[in-house]
Amino acid sequence: MKKIYHESAKYHVSGEAIYIDDIEVNNQLLHGYVYTSPVAHAKIKSYNYSEAQKLAGVHAILNYKDIPGHNQMVPVFQDEVILAIDEVTFIGQAIFLIAAETEEIARQASKLIEIEYEELPAILTIEDAIQNGVTVQPSRKIETGDINEAFKNAKNIIEGELKIGGQEHWYLETQICLCIPQEGRDMKVFSSTQNPSETQLLVAEALGLHKMNVEVEMKRMGGGFGGKETQGNHVAVWSAILANYTKKPVKIRLFRDEDQKMTGKRHRFLIKYKAAFDENGLISAVDFEQNADAGATSDLSMSILERAMLHAENSYYVPNMRIIGHAWKTNLPSNTAFRGFGGPQGIAAMETIIDRIARTLKKDSAEIRNINFYALFERNVTPYGQKIENNRLPKIWEQIIETSEYFARRKQVNEFNQKNEFYKKGLALTPIKFGISFTTAFLNQAGALVHIYNDGSVLVNHGGTEMGQGLHTKMRQIAAKELGIDYENVKVNATNTTKVPNTSPTAASSGADMNGMAVKDAIDKIKKRLSTFIACKFGATYRDNTSDAENLVYDRNIIYDWKQPERKISFNDAIKAAYLGRINLSSNGFYATPGVNFNRDRGFGKPFFYFSYGMAVSEVLLDILTGYTKILRTDILHDVGESLNVDLDKGQVEGAFIQGVGWCTTEELKYDSKGNLLNHSPDTYKIPGVNDIPEIFNVNLLKGYPQPGTIHRSKAVGEPPFMLSFSVWLAIKDAISSIKNHEIEPNFQIPATNENILLSIENLKK
Amino acid sequence: MTTNKNKIQFLLGDKLTEIEFNSEISPTTTVLNYLRSLPNHKGVKEGCAEGDCGACTVVIAEESNNKLTYKSFDSCLIFLPSLHGKQLITVENVGTSEKLHPVQEALVETHASQCGFCTPGFTMSLFSLYKQDFIPSKEFIIDALTGNLCRCTGYKPIIEAAHKCCGEHNHDYFSENENETILKLKGIKNSTNNIVIDNGIQKYFLPSNLAEALQLRTDLPNATIINGGTDIALRVTKKHEIITTIIDLSQTIGLKKITKTDKEWIIGTGVSIEDVRIEVKDIFPALYEMLSVFGSKQIRNKATFGGNIGSASPIGDSTPVLMAYNSTLVLKNTKAEREIKLREFITGYRKTQMSSDELIIAVKIPIPNTNEIIKSYKVSKRKDLDISTVSACFNLLKDEKGKIKEIFMFYGGMAATTSRASKTEDFLNGKEWNRENIEKAMKLIDEDYTPISDARAGAEARKIMARNLLMKFYNDTINL
Repeated sequence: MKKIYHESAKYHVSGEAIYIDDIEVNNQLLHGYVYTSPVAHAKIKSYNYSEAQKLAGVHAILNYKDIPGHNQMVPVFQDEVILAIDEVTFIGQAIFLIAAETEEIARQASKLIEIEYEELPAILTIEDAIQNGVTVQPSRKIETGDINEAFKNAKNIIEGELKIGGQEHWYLETQICLCIPQEGRDMKVFSSTQNPSETQLLVAEALGLHKMNVEVEMKRMGGGFGGKETQGNHVAVWSAILANYTKKPVKIRLFRDEDQKMTGKRHRFLIKYKAAFDENGLISAVDFEQNADAGATSDLSMSILERAMLHAENSYYVPNMRIIGHAWKTNLPSNTAFRGFGGPQGIAAMETIIDRIARTLKKDSAEIRNINFYALFERNVTPYGQKIENNRLPKIWEQIIETSEYFARRKQVNEFNQKNEFYKKGLALTPIKFGISFTTAFLNQAGALVHIYNDGSVLVNHGGTEMGQGLHTKMRQIAAKELGIDYENVKVNATNTTKVPNTSPTAASSGADMNGMAVKDAIDKIKKRLSTFIACKFGATYRDNTSDAENLVYDRNIIYDWKQPERKISFNDAIKAAYLGRINLSSNGFYATPGVNFNRDRGFGKPFFYFSYGMAVSEVLLDILTGYTKILRTDILHDVGESLNVDLDKGQVEGAFIQGVGWCTTEELKYDSKGNLLNHSPDTYKIPGVNDIPEIFNVNLLKGYPQPGTIHRSKAVGEPPFMLSFSVWLAIKDAISSIKNHEIEPNFQIPATNENILLSIENLKK
Repeated sequence: MTTNKNKIQFLLGDKLTEIEFNSEISPTTTVLNYLRSLPNHKGVKEGCAEGDCGACTVVIAEESNNKLTYKSFDSCLIFLPSLHGKQLITVENVGTSEKLHPVQEALVETHASQCGFCTPGFTMSLFSLYKQDFIPSKEFIIDALTGNLCRCTGYKPIIEAAHKCCGEHNHDYFSENENETILKLKGIKNSTNNIVIDNGIQKYFLPSNLAEALQLRTDLPNATIINGGTDIALRVTKKHEIITTIIDLSQTIGLKKITKTDKEWIIGTGVSIEDVRIEVKDIFPALYEMLSVFGSKQIRNKATFGGNIGSASPIGDSTPVLMAYNSTLVLKNTKAEREIKLREFITGYRKTQMSSDELIIAVKIPIPNTNEIIKSYKVSKRKDLDISTVSACFNLLKDEKGKIKEIFMFYGGMAATTSRASKTEDFLNGKEWNRENIEKAMKLIDEDYTPISDARAGAEARKIMARNLLMKFYNDTINL
């Protein structure tokens, strides 16, 4: 099959791809700047910005009173203001907005603002937040079986705590928005957002307008990873308020350090666990208390916590289980969506349990995993009552154990460790089972708008956004395949709220699944009209008998009757004829994922349309004197059903995996005692570089297992492989553990930085 | 030859470009910001404005001996005046979507771009590798790319793209036009000499020879001296400082020379770290090792010894190594030249013994005796493009019986300056080079230093690292 490259690749490599900061605007453009709180929790006693206003080139300095509509940033929970009123609750919270002729002037103006705070006590750690006892929303519970009974009868019990650090998204393109005022008070918004419809809503509400007055356009993001699901809205709303006030175009682009300080991260978690298992390592009960650091407001924390809880058992059948989840309020920027959306944190604790069971029983952890996997015909119901269908775990296990030569290498690793004092190797296999669908059921809908122009070219609009994942490429492929035409004859437009309304965020890995179905639906509608017309035309040409519209096939730029293949017409001629025949060649399309529901109060239901699966085996080399680790080899086998585009999907798997490796190893967020983030630039916040990928990196997609009921039998791919990075994390732990012959449970956490590794090793030596 | 007042000339792609500095255009405008202000050069991206992500990578070609060398740089760390007489090449100059360069084609075909924001930077790093005209090993490719961050792909396809497009006898638009470019660049250089910029707010001098530079240093003792400028540029890009007077030595002839004798090497402080690194590999391996994890290719192409030593940072990578080699600095003013041991030069946190009329013009590194064992180590969170949490360089001299005659231990990141572990050294001197003594010595390092906790690591981890590096040195030298 012909290779399909990312539809923007040739623009990426030539620098022609246009991002928001590259859009040419007239010389009226003003630069927006946000004045933010330098303290974590305080009353604003007084302020004065009259000096700043006098600075030449300053066009506006606005406070919350200048917001024409609602001072509200969160559509559901309504607990986050756009601009602070009389209290600030985290460092980086917006207080004033400045518009000036240059970024430099705006920055100078901000230095002239005087503000007096009365500092209040700040909650800066999960431990303090638990003590303080305030959550952003009521806590949740999922429970199955009888854990008390199971623990009473248990042969072995382990208990512990796992600390999981946050993660900065580090999209290459920082948060940015350009607003251009239109006629009346209408606003055109170019926003780097994964969620144009929500950006549209919040801009409308902030300006006191209706959604019909606000047009949001999103061509491409320079990376999103969840960081622009809700938090792209902030700069959009801020710049809209300034543009509305000044009646001039306003652009806000966060400087890298500001972005890192002001925006939310992957949630830190502290998970308390207790597990019961027999002498073979078969798990009978698990009790989890998941404590998430929500930050100052709700944002998406409850959905993220929910996904953490729904993934607490990962790929393993646990007959008796209780998961309690708390989203604690702290005085830090509100934590937010990040690839995996709570799944990684939930799974990390379960994988820790497996790893500890293996150490306790002196068995290999892969074997413990294997006996606990969900089975095909029994032991296949999740703690929240969803039956596992199309379970690919056994197949993947069988293949990867062989291709990775797991057991032979386990022996080699052990031998190496016997012989070497200062270098240790570690090996681990970890699985992932990831639920696909928004757990908030109504979000599982998507729309599209497809135009076939009368020259035969096709323009696809859909509700998804392009952040690099190749969504538009896949949509082009789907449209081309459905219409039986060349990929080159299809184009995907920038996502625009005037084309497709009321869209869901491009998130939860669902972009291709849902928008693909909506595109197909739109094309099906056009094809129905077109086929009727062409069948009729065939009938008129060949007078002996008629053609049935349902028998028409669209393939290789030709439409033909498969029962009478001599009856054919080129796609372009068909379109021309249809146009002259006054046939509607445009249609919208819609899709709602069938059969998903979840009762939050009962913690029960079928939240997911299906599950994605994968496994990874990683081997690391640890220098125990420096704590430096090198990934020697990683083998991945991942399930994407029938891939829509093998190269793009492998790119997602590799990229997600490395991003996960970063979270598990070098990416660390440290705060000082006042709540200042210390790692606020790439100088001290270290994402993986080119030298940090596995020396041998074998990535394969599971072949021959199409998914029923999805677009072209494919599966979602964006998030699940992120969690395959636990193979690296636990391989590092395995290497540390080998120092004391796996007899002592080492201290371990996320991230396993060289510092944390060295401290863990020192502790083992005690 | 004339002095160019307020004006510089360079090639932007093929186009002879002149910039006149005035109250609107500051001489500390970065090349990144300049390019992004133009209508047709928005491919260059700002990802961090501190040389840590490489999204702003450009290639600068320089003429010397009728040949062009193409090197990658972070355009966020270069002030405009230093472009004078050079060819600036951006991603737009390399190729267009209609007519891709082989490097760009390879990136497309290996699916090496996802969100695409870092891609122009990678394209330029690969373009500079392509222009080296040889078949690069994997190590070479990785070395060329450590200064570029990608958050989407996981790098594998980008490495594949490099393998695919880089080779021998590479031919492209630039090689076709090389002679013409050389003529144009020589034309600029022949017509001008010193550059003096004064826009009423800032003064910026680019002296072309050492005498001029020293005179400026005497006349303007408070001026900020830059050579590569990779550190000073951050004051502009991150702290938004307006630096009022700058003496930029990057075009000063006489500082870019390496003189090799049997006894010592004299390295001009204007030689780039990358050029030093390539040269010293066989003679000063400990220096080579350290410089190989110094910043990134882009940073090393710009940064110099002069800057790294002169800034006297406690985490400067080169100082512990140069101290272990017992290097000497050559300082010069308009009247005299003097030499001072680097070990004595740094007096405190970012403080040195340099007088306000002096410049460091060279570093003299003695070639070690055959019985000196010198090794360097750097511990950082990430191996590449990361600042040391702790660095160390050891120099061990054993007597004929194998006992420690003298050991020098220099640590960076453990105190306000690079400093010696004197107590530990005293303990070890005269003792057997064995495990037992090393283990005892490791405990003493705690007495030598009281490190701080910061964003990179806590004090406790720094102590462990410092102790362990001695063990690592022992282990690496046990059989030597």
